[in-house]
Amino acid sequence: MSDRKAELLEALKQGVIDYDEDAVKEAAQAVVDEGIDAYDAVFDGLVEGMNEVGRLYEEQEYFVPEMLMCADALYAGLDILKPHIVQKEGGVKGAVVMGVVQGDVHDIGKNIVKMMFDVAGFDVHDLGRDVPMDKFVEEQLKTDSELVLLSAMMTTTMVGMKDIIAKIKEKNPKCRIMIGGAPVSEDLADKWGADGFAKDANNALKDALNMVKALKDLQQ
Amino acid sequence: MNSRQLVLDQLNGKDVERPACYSGMGNVTTAGLEQFGYKFSKVHTDAKMMADTAASSYKLFGYECAIVPYDLCLEAEAIGCVMNPYEEVDQLLYPTIKEKVCHSEEEMTTFPIPDDVEKRGRVPLVCEAIKLLKADIGNEVAIGTYVLGPFTLAGQLMDLNDLFKLAFKKPKLVNEMLDRVSDVTIKIAKELVAAGADYINVREMGATTDVLSPKVFRNVIQPHLIKVREALKDVPLVIHICGGTNKIMDILNECKYNAISVETKNDLAASREMIGNEPLIFGNIDAFNVLVNGSPEDVEKATLAALEGSCDSVWPSCDIWPTAPIENLKAMVETVKNQGAAKWVRKNK
Repeated sequence: MSDRKAELLEALKQGVIDYDEDAVKEAAQAVVDEGIDAYDAVFDGLVEGMNEVGRLYEEQEYFVPEMLMCADALYAGLDILKPHIVQKEGGVKGAVVMGVVQGDVHDIGKNIVKMMFDVAGFDVHDLGRDVPMDKFVEEQLKTDSELVLLSAMMTTTMVGMKDIIAKIKEKNPKCRIMIGGAPVSEDLADKWGADGFAKDANNALKDALNMVKALKDLQQ
Repeated sequence: MNSRQLVLDQLNGKDVERPACYSGMGNVTTAGLEQFGYKFSKVHTDAKMMADTAASSYKLFGYECAIVPYDLCLEAEAIGCVMNPYEEVDQLLYPTIKEKVCHSEEEMTTFPIPDDVEKRGRVPLVCEAIKLLKADIGNEVAIGTYVLGPFTLAGQLMDLNDLFKLAFKKPKLVNEMLDRVSDVTIKIAKELVAAGADYINVREMGATTDVLSPKVFRNVIQPHLIKVREALKDVPLVIHICGGTNKIMDILNECKYNAISVETKNDLAASREMIGNEPLIFGNIDAFNVLVNGSPEDVEKATLAALEGSCDSVWPSCDIWPTAPIENLKAMVETVKNQGAAKWVRKNK
């Protein structure tokens, strides 16, 4: 790797960690102008930065405000780099439907997970928040997505997941369903028939990062 | 000593014979709704239906309080937001705010707050429900209610993503907004007390350490909690926060509420280490995994664990999910009534 490339990747990474949108934009523009591989800039720069942010969040050095600002910085870079990404051979692509269940308007965790799937090159169908049950089922059928991700922030809203999971599985048993959000647990995921679970926003992010990594590994 | 006296004496710092089993959050049950043939989405806008169902928790399983309302939209609606009660949906859903009143950073300090905010929206209706409850069971159990903490209320009024970021980036601006919003919390709380509420739970649920650092909590959340406390000097106040709270127990304790309510995630031993043995801590029965999904034996175990963990009264961690089986709720109440005095670790120390 050239020194210049390494320098720009580091600037992207650090810019995300420092939630410095301007620094990220500047480095991303330099990547494009100087003909450096945009794909590497995303994965070895921006995503590496977000990996570190995930660690800082887990250690409670960063909290949600910091993480949201880091995500803004990542998106600022991604907007510039994305049009220049050349898809590598055999790249894994998938489609995912995601949303926050009806009755719940808290979408911060979901948005952070969405960001990672965006970065990974998934075809993301984001239904937003306060999403009626049937909408998940319809959207899954319409898009034939491999994955459905359900999020809930409150004990009083997560209960709706059970019926959504059953309905989707009934229409399309092959579809994989992952659930996440503060009150959800591995145990509940099992009980409700979900295929995967993320313990909290932090683990949702980690899982998403792992998926991104797994994708990269498959591509290499 | 009857339940009402027990609850109020403890909140007021007097010696009591045992912990109580009650709450500062919603506790309507499916059984209570069915008894009257009420639909959950309808009870939020009818004082009699609200009071009937609230009283049913005492009547059905001996809960030592009655709480209204059930939703978290009261204050935001009084300010001018639009609530969605989900009347068209079959499943049980709690109302949410569908139209907010603050749409930009600039508006945080300028969005209009009606002078008579405590007379707006459903505040008079909830006051009416409190009066009905007082007349019905007010001599037997304490009639409680809750208000949103200023930060949580702000989250109902504007985009939550923006609020979180600004709490970090522009604490001064957020503090200005919260100062305005805390006046709403105070005015509505006073109105509910005037209607007969015996105690108030301040739910600052959006400010858990799962999302905000202790530093932001101290700079942006605590000043307004203190302001609310000082404005309601004679009212028994409990502060409740969901999720992680261990790192801010000292900050909460400094706010001088009559008690602190914590949820399952709180490590009670660590909390006591931080704030000592004196302050009242309420908690911390998992309102879904134990009360809905557990057996009566699981409930008993969790209740004893809460008492042995130093809780002074047993509160569910959150609103009781309505489908919780009555035998589970009975098990919780009976365990406290029968074994509470003996298992009250903090008192017996």
